[in-house]
Amino acid sequence: MTVPAIELRSVVKDYGRTHALRGIDLAIEPGRIFGFLGPNGAGKTTTIRLLLDLIRPTAGTAAVLGFDCQRQSMDVRRRVGYLPGELRMYESMRGDEFLDLIDSFRPEKRDPRYRRELLDRLALDAMHPVRALSKGNKQKLGLVQALMHRPDVLVLDEPTSGLDPLVQEEVARLLEDAVRDGRTVFFSSHVLPEVERLSQSVAIIREGKIVAVEDIARLKARSVHVVEVTFAHEPPAQLFALPGVRELRRDGNMVHLQARDGIDAVIKAIARYPVVDLRTEQPSLEDVFLAYYSDHSNAGGEEEGRLHASA
Amino acid sequence: MPRLSVLRKSLRDQKWQVLGFGLALAVMAILDVFIWPAYRDPLQNFELPPALQAFLGELSIATSAGFLSAEYFSWIPILLIVYAVIQGTGAIAGEESSGTIDLLLAQPVSRRLMVIEKTVAVCLGSAVIVAMGCVGFAIAMPFVDMDTSWTDVAIASANMLPITLLFFAISLWLGAVAPSRGLASGVVIGLATAFYFMNLVANAVQSLDGLKYATPFYYYGAGLSLVEGLVWWHIGALLGIALLFVAAALRSFESRDIATGGATDVGFGGVLRRIVARGSGA
Repeated sequence: MTVPAIELRSVVKDYGRTHALRGIDLAIEPGRIFGFLGPNGAGKTTTIRLLLDLIRPTAGTAAVLGFDCQRQSMDVRRRVGYLPGELRMYESMRGDEFLDLIDSFRPEKRDPRYRRELLDRLALDAMHPVRALSKGNKQKLGLVQALMHRPDVLVLDEPTSGLDPLVQEEVARLLEDAVRDGRTVFFSSHVLPEVERLSQSVAIIREGKIVAVEDIARLKARSVHVVEVTFAHEPPAQLFALPGVRELRRDGNMVHLQARDGIDAVIKAIARYPVVDLRTEQPSLEDVFLAYYSDHSNAGGEEEGRLHASA
Repeated sequence: MPRLSVLRKSLRDQKWQVLGFGLALAVMAILDVFIWPAYRDPLQNFELPPALQAFLGELSIATSAGFLSAEYFSWIPILLIVYAVIQGTGAIAGEESSGTIDLLLAQPVSRRLMVIEKTVAVCLGSAVIVAMGCVGFAIAMPFVDMDTSWTDVAIASANMLPITLLFFAISLWLGAVAPSRGLASGVVIGLATAFYFMNLVANAVQSLDGLKYATPFYYYGAGLSLVEGLVWWHIGALLGIALLFVAAALRSFESRDIATGGATDVGFGGVLRRIVARGSGA
């Protein structure tokens, strides 16, 4: 049986009377990009910091590659590249000096060529003092230090925060490369389109509880498609009386439909008649999430309000 | 093989401070040696106030040993304590309140090793500062007729290290209990000042004589080591208590959560609650 890259079992974290995590269970297979999605304050950073043993669980256990995050923290940290959400580096050091410092903790994994490649791909000049770097360049430096020793598991808290769209694309490619090498990426985000773009699977956390763990493709397949078909002639009235399909309205030969769980049944139904035009709207994860979880959550409206869904 | 990354980083971080404090000591040493001939005769009939004389014990300020004790060894430890507090509060509380500790402790270095390496860096740093003072004496003493040897001065200088390390350890512990650098610095500086004057008063006022045993400055003994040599049990007591504070700092630091991104200021009440909680084994 494969050892999960990350495994959380019934993890509870309380701060006095505040319940930050209320029993998190999560197992992440190795070799995947896994998104950890939730609104600000849901418990993403708390979960991530538990993995690095920066904070200790009130109850439950966390493990990375089979190593207990608390008792075998050194084994965990040898194998993890970490980008904090609140990234603070030594301001007086130059970027390259800071990278040298991080390299010095794992001299056996030092790879100057790969480090150079990362700096080039992110277009970062590391010869400036950290204090002189812009927020975006600091974030790039944070990403380089997390990636440069080719860790088995990358734990990234809001990795694209402060980066422009082009650099975000490059970061996505870097993470895909890491996964192609067999490594695992676990990253948090409060931005739905980012998770949609980067990850293969997603766990959604809300108020300290995992409310869903989904494969991105399956989540999207479960979506509500909006279909607009224009026939050559008026179609039969009962044509779309199909399971999961709802006819919204007709404008002459044009029919507007809503199809849950894919559009296969719709395509097969319309194939028997001459079709002039067909349009389907590909739902974003954001639409899917809001549609799906507003149906399945008692606090659906609340959820919609709290998630930051900017593109 | 130990990588000593934290030690090397700490030494690098404090190099300008060490140089600055060291130069201050060297300049003071040179000045004190060169002004001694000008003071030697006028001081023959001069009596120090009792509180200051108490620092010298039986020593007369009209001797070079007494003069150096009063002018150098009685107050230079205050400078060293300032250095120790800067370093002690920076070691844990400073890293935590600046938020840099997250990335540091995400590397394969244990909290224990981090504290030990930073402690070693301060031991080395304070030794270099004191040594630079000795270099100052070595530069000046050949030009001046003194009845004190450089070896005696070097021994008395080394005697300043235990009290420096004690205040470093107290600062480290407070920084571990309350990751607020400002609070920890304020408390330790206040404590050091209180002990300093408590020692002066206890020496000057007969009825308060017993108080002096409660202050680290009594065990330091100012420049008495210039003529009497080192009192090993005093050094042992200071270093022993320092070690206890380092151990307490480690215990506290290893058992608690690291604050997020500089959100560290728990306030005075929070510190007291943490100290009480540690004391009761919670």
